[in-house]
Amino acid sequence: MADHKPELNEVPDGHNYDGIQEYDNPIPGWWSWIFVATIIFTPVYIIWFHAPGMDRNLLAQYDRAYAANLEQQFGEIGELLPDAETVMRFIDDDKWLAVGRATFQTHCVSCHGAAGEGASGVNLTDNVYKNVTNVAQIADVIANGAAGGAMPPWKTKLHPNAVVLTASYVASLRDTNAPGGRQPEGVEIPPWSAE
Amino acid sequence: MSQALPADAAPAPDEQPAQDDTTNAGLESFTYDDKTPRMFLIAMYVWALVAFLVGLLAAVELPFPSLNGGIEYITFGRIRPLHTNAAIFAFAGNAIFAAIYYSTQRLCKARMWSDALSKLHFWGWQLIIVSAALTLPFGITQGKEYAELEWPIDIAIAVVWAGFFGINFFMTLIKRRERHMYVALWFYIATIVTVAILHIFNNIWVPVFSGTLIKSYPIYAGVQDAMMQWWYGHNAVAFFLTTPFLGLMYYFLPKAAERPVFSYRLSILHFWSLVFIYIWAGPHHLHYTALPEWAQTLGMLFSVMLWMPSWGGMINGLLTLRGAWHKVTTDPILKFFVVGITFYGMSTFEGPLLSIKAVNSLSHYTDWTIGHVHAGALGWNGFLAFGMMYWLAPRLFQTRLYSVKLASLHFWLATLGILVYVISMYVAGITQGLMWRAIEDNGTLSYGTFVETTRAVLPMYWIRIVGGALYMAGAVVGGWNLYKTWASRPDEYEQRVHQAPPLRDQPVPQEDRPEPRMVGVLDMANRADVWSTMWWHRAWERMPVKFTALVIVAVVVASLFELIPTFVIRSNVPTIASVQPYTPLELVGRDIYIAEGCYNCHSQMIRPMVAETKRYGEYSKPGEFVYDHPFQWGSRRIGPDLARVGGRLTHQWHVWHFEKPQEATPGSIMPPYPFLMEKKADYKSIPARVAATMVLHPNDPNFENYPVGQDAVDHARAQATQIHEEFLVQNAGPYVNADGEAVDLTESQAVALIAYLQRLGTDIYADPPVKIEPLPATPDATVTTEADEAPREDDADASALLGQAATHGGGR
Repeated sequence: MADHKPELNEVPDGHNYDGIQEYDNPIPGWWSWIFVATIIFTPVYIIWFHAPGMDRNLLAQYDRAYAANLEQQFGEIGELLPDAETVMRFIDDDKWLAVGRATFQTHCVSCHGAAGEGASGVNLTDNVYKNVTNVAQIADVIANGAAGGAMPPWKTKLHPNAVVLTASYVASLRDTNAPGGRQPEGVEIPPWSAE
Repeated sequence: MSQALPADAAPAPDEQPAQDDTTNAGLESFTYDDKTPRMFLIAMYVWALVAFLVGLLAAVELPFPSLNGGIEYITFGRIRPLHTNAAIFAFAGNAIFAAIYYSTQRLCKARMWSDALSKLHFWGWQLIIVSAALTLPFGITQGKEYAELEWPIDIAIAVVWAGFFGINFFMTLIKRRERHMYVALWFYIATIVTVAILHIFNNIWVPVFSGTLIKSYPIYAGVQDAMMQWWYGHNAVAFFLTTPFLGLMYYFLPKAAERPVFSYRLSILHFWSLVFIYIWAGPHHLHYTALPEWAQTLGMLFSVMLWMPSWGGMINGLLTLRGAWHKVTTDPILKFFVVGITFYGMSTFEGPLLSIKAVNSLSHYTDWTIGHVHAGALGWNGFLAFGMMYWLAPRLFQTRLYSVKLASLHFWLATLGILVYVISMYVAGITQGLMWRAIEDNGTLSYGTFVETTRAVLPMYWIRIVGGALYMAGAVVGGWNLYKTWASRPDEYEQRVHQAPPLRDQPVPQEDRPEPRMVGVLDMANRADVWSTMWWHRAWERMPVKFTALVIVAVVVASLFELIPTFVIRSNVPTIASVQPYTPLELVGRDIYIAEGCYNCHSQMIRPMVAETKRYGEYSKPGEFVYDHPFQWGSRRIGPDLARVGGRLTHQWHVWHFEKPQEATPGSIMPPYPFLMEKKADYKSIPARVAATMVLHPNDPNFENYPVGQDAVDHARAQATQIHEEFLVQNAGPYVNADGEAVDLTESQAVALIAYLQRLGTDIYADPPVKIEPLPATPDATVTTEADEAPREDDADASALLGQAATHGGGR
C-alpha cells in the first residue's frame, strides 16, 4: 500500500501472530501532548479547588449559592414574621404571592392538588377549615403540622419566609372553589383579617 | 482470501509452518477447539435478542406505565436489572468468551488447556444467566447496579470465572507455542484478573439465613458501599466492556482488514495507561454526593487523564485501516468495526466530559447517562460483537455466510437505531437537567413539580423506543443470517491439524537495548529516548506470569490508594448522633424497596445545589447512611429523589399512590403496585434479618437494646399496627381493594415499605435521637396515652418505642 511514510511500514521481526502483523509507527504527537496536558491539569485543579483557604470546594460553592439565592428571594423583604398582619400583607401582592405559589407547587400539590382543590389532603379552595380559625394559623399549621401528623410540619424543610408566603398563597385560595374539589371538611370561619 | 465473506470463506488458512530459525526438534501436532467458540457465539446471539427484547419492554413501560398490567414480575424496577445483566453478562459476556476462545488458541498456537474446563465454563455461565432470569423478576436482588445477583450466584460467578475460565486461559498461556504474547492477550489477561478482583471485593456480604428467602447484606454501608460499588461498576465497564473488546478488536480487525496493526508501541502505552488509570475513575459516578470530595476529585481527574489512553485504542483501530478503506465500503464486517470503534472514541470522549463536575451537575441522574451507556453498549460492544460474528460464523461453521446483503441491512438498521436512540436520550437528558435546575427571577424553582419534567421528555421516550426497535430489528435480521449460515454447515466439521515446535525447543530471543541515536545530548536524554522505544516491553511479552503479576500490581495499587482512605479515615464519614438503626419493620420495608428495584428510578441523594435542596430538602450527609446495607443512592431520577421523603406525605397518600400512581400524581409514569397491599410482609425472616444486621455492627452502642428474635417480630408488628391505625384515621376507614373488599393492611408489604419511606431522611432532625428500645413492658409501659408526647423522650417506654413510627413517620 502506498502511504505517506512508507519507511514506517516495516514490520519488526517476529511481530507476526496468526498472520497478524504490527507496525511500530511512532505515537502521534497530538496524542502524547494531550495526554501530558491532562496529567498536568491534575495538580493545577487540585491546588485551585482544594488548597487550604481557596474556599472553592463544593460545599463552599453551595453555601455561596444558597446565600445568593436567599438574597435574590428575600433580600427586599427581610425576615418575615408568621403573624396575621404579615400573611395578609402579601395576599394581594402578585409578585410575592408567586413565591408562595412556587413553594406550594413543589411541596404541597401531592396532597392538596395543583389548584389546592384537595386530594389526599383537604380542599383549600372552599370556605371551611379544620385546623385554622384565623389567617396566622395557616402559617402555624404549615410550620408545625396538624391532624396528628397527617399534615406534616415543614419548619425544618422551608425557610421561615417561604412558610409565611405559602400561607399567604393558601389564604388567597379561599373561595376560589377549584373544580373537582374534595368534600368540604371543618367549619366556616370569619373572613381573613390582619388583626 | 482477499475478502472475508465470499464463497471461499473456508476455514482460516493453516498456520505457517515452523519458522526457519527454529531448531530441528520435532514439531508438535495439535488441533483447535472450535466447538466452544461456536457454542459461545450462538449463546451470544440468543442472549443478545433476549437482552434487547427486555430492554425494549422496559423502554415501552416508561411512557406506558400500566403496560405491566399489575403483574409484579415485569415492573420496570424488576426487569431493568434483568435487561442490564442480560446485556452485559449474557450478550457481551458470551461475545467475549467466543472471541477469547477462538483467538487465544490461535495466538498461542495451542488448544485450550482443558476441554473439560471449557465445557464447564460454557455451561456454568449459561446456568448463571438462567439463574439471573429466575431471580431478578422475583425481586431476589442485592440492590446494587450490575451486581444485583444474590450471593449463591455470586459464588457461582467467582467459580466459573476464576476457576474454570481463568485457569483454563492461564494454563493455555503457559502451554503456548508462540514465544511472545500478542497485544490482544494482554487485554484478555487484564480482563480476567481484574473482573475477578472487582467481583469478589464488591460482593462481600453477610447472608441472611432464613428458609423463606435468598438474601444478603453487603458488609459495606452507605458511603463506603457506594465507593465499593462504583469502583466495581465503573471498572466493570472498563474490564468487562472495554479491555476484552479492545483485545477482540486487536485480533479480528486486522484479520478482517488484512492489514498490519498501526503501532505496536502505541498499544503498549495505551494498554498500561488504560489499566492503571481506569481503576481510579469510579468516584465520578458519585459527584456531588455524600462521598468525600477528595475522592470525587480523584475520580474526575483520572477520568480526564483516561481520555487519551482510551483513544489510543481507537487510533490503533482506525489507523490499522489505512490502505483498506476501500474494503470498508463493501465489507459489512469492516463497517461494523469502523462504526463500533468510532462509537468507542465518542463514548470515551463523552465519559471524561461527563466526569467533569460542572458537566456532571447537569447530566447526572438524567437520560444523558442512559444515552452514554447505550452509545457504549450498543455502539461499541454491539457493533464489535456483530462484526466479529459475521467474520467468525463462516469460519466456525465452515461454510459461506448466508447473505452479505442481509449483513449490510443489519448494519444500517443498527446504525440508524443507535443514532435515534442516543440522540433522543441526549435531548431528554439535557432537557431534564436544565428543567430541574431552572430558577425564576424570584428565586423559586421554575418547574417545582417533578412530574412537569417527566412530561417534557415523554416524546423522547417514544423516539427512543423507535431507535431501540430499529436496533433490535437489525439484530433479528442478523439472527436469521446466522441461523441460515449455521444451517448450511457441513455434516461433519473438518478438524485441521496444526504443527508447531514446543516452546522449550524454540530459542529465547535476546531483546536488545537499541543503541543511543542522538549525539551531543545528555546521557539522560539518550537513556530516555532508548527507554521510550519500549524495547524492554518485548521481554515482558515472553513471560505471562510476570506480565499478569504486573497487571495485578497496577490494578491493586490504584485501588488501594482510593479505597483504604475511604475506610480508615474517620473524618470521611462524620457520625451523626441522631442517626439510628432501622427498626425491624423498617428493615423489612427497606428490603421490599430493594426487591422492587425502586432504586432504578428513584435516587436517595440530595446534592448540594440550590435547585436540589429547594426541591428535596437539606443536602444528604455522609453520616446519614451508616446503616444502609446496601446504599440506595441510585443513579437515575426517572422519578423524584426520595432521600427526605420521610414525613412529607401521609401513609394514606402512599397507599393511594402505590395503587394508582397516575391518579395521585397526574402524568406520573410510575407503574401501579396494587400487589403491595395484597402481599404479606415476610415477618418470619425478621429475626434472621436483624441477626445479619447486628453482625455488621458488632460494637455499635445503638444496638444495645435492639430487639432480637421473637421480640423483633413483635416490635415490627407493633409498629405496623401503629402505622395502620394512623392510616385508618387518614383514610377515614379501611383500605378497599379493586374488588371492593376491605383489607387490613397491618401485615402488608405496603405498611412495611411505608414504615421505611417515612423514616427516610428524618433522623437528622430528631433531637434528641429516638433510640429503639426493647418491647417487653416495663412498669412505665402502662402509660400509653402519652404516645404523642413520649417519642422524643429517651426512656424505655413501650409507647415511646411505638411513637417512633409516628416521629419518623407521620411527622408528629
